[in-house]
Amino acid sequence: MNTFITLFAISLNAILAENFILVKFLGICPFMGVSKKTDTAVGMGIAVIFVMALASAATWAVNEFLLVSLGLEYMQTVVFILVIAALVQFVEMFLQKAMPSLYQALGIYLPLITTNCAVLGVALLNVQNSYTFIEAVVYGVTGGIGFTLAIVLFSSIRQRLEDCDCPKAFKGFPLALIAAGLLALSFMGFSGFRVF
Amino acid sequence: MEKILYAVLVLAVMGAVFGGVLAVASRVFAVKTDERLPRLVEALPGANCGGCGFAGCQAYAQAVIDGKAEIGLCAAGGQEAAKKMSAVMGVEAVEVERKVAMVKCRGQNHLSKARYEGISDCRSAMFVTGNGPSACPSGCLGFGTCTTACKFDAIHVVNGVARVEADKCTGCFQCMEVCPKGIIIPVTYHTDIVIACSNHDRGANTRKVCDIGCVGCHLCEKQCEFDAIHVINNLATIDYSKCVSCGRCAAVCPRHLISDSNLRTDMDVVPAMQR
Amino acid sequence: MNFRKQLKAGLLTNNPVLSQLLGMCSTMAITTTLFNGIGMGLSVTIILICSNVVISLLRKVIPDKIRIAAYIVIIAGFVTMVDLLLKAYVPALSDSLGVFIPLIVVNCIILGRAEAFASKNGLLASAVDGLTQGIGYTAALVVMCIIREFLGSGTFGKGVFGADGIRILPAQYPALMLILPVGGFLTLGCLIALTQWVNKKLTEREAKKEAAR
Repeated sequence: MNTFITLFAISLNAILAENFILVKFLGICPFMGVSKKTDTAVGMGIAVIFVMALASAATWAVNEFLLVSLGLEYMQTVVFILVIAALVQFVEMFLQKAMPSLYQALGIYLPLITTNCAVLGVALLNVQNSYTFIEAVVYGVTGGIGFTLAIVLFSSIRQRLEDCDCPKAFKGFPLALIAAGLLALSFMGFSGFRVF
Repeated sequence: MEKILYAVLVLAVMGAVFGGVLAVASRVFAVKTDERLPRLVEALPGANCGGCGFAGCQAYAQAVIDGKAEIGLCAAGGQEAAKKMSAVMGVEAVEVERKVAMVKCRGQNHLSKARYEGISDCRSAMFVTGNGPSACPSGCLGFGTCTTACKFDAIHVVNGVARVEADKCTGCFQCMEVCPKGIIIPVTYHTDIVIACSNHDRGANTRKVCDIGCVGCHLCEKQCEFDAIHVINNLATIDYSKCVSCGRCAAVCPRHLISDSNLRTDMDVVPAMQR
Repeated sequence: MNFRKQLKAGLLTNNPVLSQLLGMCSTMAITTTLFNGIGMGLSVTIILICSNVVISLLRKVIPDKIRIAAYIVIIAGFVTMVDLLLKAYVPALSDSLGVFIPLIVVNCIILGRAEAFASKNGLLASAVDGLTQGIGYTAALVVMCIIREFLGSGTFGKGVFGADGIRILPAQYPALMLILPVGGFLTLGCLIALTQWVNKKLTEREAKKEAAR
């Protein structure tokens, strides 16, 4: 029961109060890049959930069984990025063979994810918070869900932004950033929201 | 010393293991892709404009390989792309007729029946009762939804009416897709004779809302020796299979709306009132 | 001359943050005090120069297919070094930047410059490119920090000039919002708009000059 509550608290935190994009500023590049249309935003979001879950599990195992036992914690950054890059590449190949339809939908986003700070961020935060294996995986999945939530919301706002009148210098990217700022402001309402 | 050795070892071993796994995986999970696919994609312009009816250049190339699509659907690449694709696929090159978009409206001074100050977008403006703020039921609204949709900077709103620069137009017809009035049509690049009006109302009504709308006077029809132009449903309509572009209809039209100026790149237009 | 041109590109016309729109995560996340901004900017500049140099040296050795992976490992190596150095000598900075130091690995600026410049150019040119782009990044960070710190906490140079910096606005006035995540988005949005405006004016002026000639 106690673990359940901890997991619930972690999930709620990752999705709302400490949203990866809007509060922690992780994964802004894909957030800005792939949010022009809602359907691509959904695709990217699902791909991120998938990779973040796998990466959490893999990096947790590597860290626990390899780095900690050999006293090489300072190599985390190098090793994690290596694991993530290899993992993404492997997933891409696997999907192409085993699930071509899923590959068609997610394939183009996978290379983008290797250099997504959210994925490396979740691996590093798992270590920093000294989560257990289950907690790490849950944090990865829910962090990805938070990412998806933010990017889908933002993409629907952005489709409206295309049409509006504004000073020329603000047209496009700057206006999108300001809209994202307002979205972040609304997510601030969740801070201080704790389940214990 | 030992620590340094461990660090190097761990990284080397991990690199080797991942490299090995990926190498094996690339063999095991190898998917046979047609080697013609990348070459076909290369032959296409890569604008992913969707003018061919597929999701993008890659999808179109795949469809060609699967035999689901013909060569020559790519308007943006035109003859050159078709030639290259035919070479890749090993078939005879097909002739592609270059098509460009044309806005079937020239009525800069058409009356408005409502004042619209909402989002500057034709699709939004269409929510004004009775298909938008223009008094002409099929007149260009001029909010530039087509300009935003165009990836090639080929359509602009000039004096309140969208105009296509035919030389820049690649024929992807994205503007046609987004135009809520449906007054953008494909025409052959080489033709000079176009009807720049879409109004099917009776002449008296058209005259009230627009000073250059087609009133269905039949003068062009009488003038044509080739039976190529007819007034159908109060609007002159050209049958391009018969038209020889002699220009006699254009000369006789009292409203000056059959003209060649539309397909030129110079954008200056004589205001309709001065004609 | 060439260096000056590259510097101008790095600072304004081709600024990594404000024009190329790269590396925005860290830009928005850590620019709450001048101390953070300068620390992050310098770290990235050093890593950028080192990785550019190494990648440009190895550009003929690395096979094309695995180049991205190779670049990432090289970058990660330098990031780890900087991380450890900061932890040892400037623990305060290391604490306040937190997870964003290791995340320099996936900062698009570094990988972007490696891919776009260092993999095609010689040693010296790559080093200069790393330096100018790094300066551009640092400049963008510092400007953001000054704005956000002034409006958000009413001080200047917190951590650089003493622990609390120089107080400009009395403590009850500043808008706390500016040092929260929201402020990052808003400030960066306005700065990018300003850069676009300035760049447009510059190109217009250049075009006029051309026309006059």
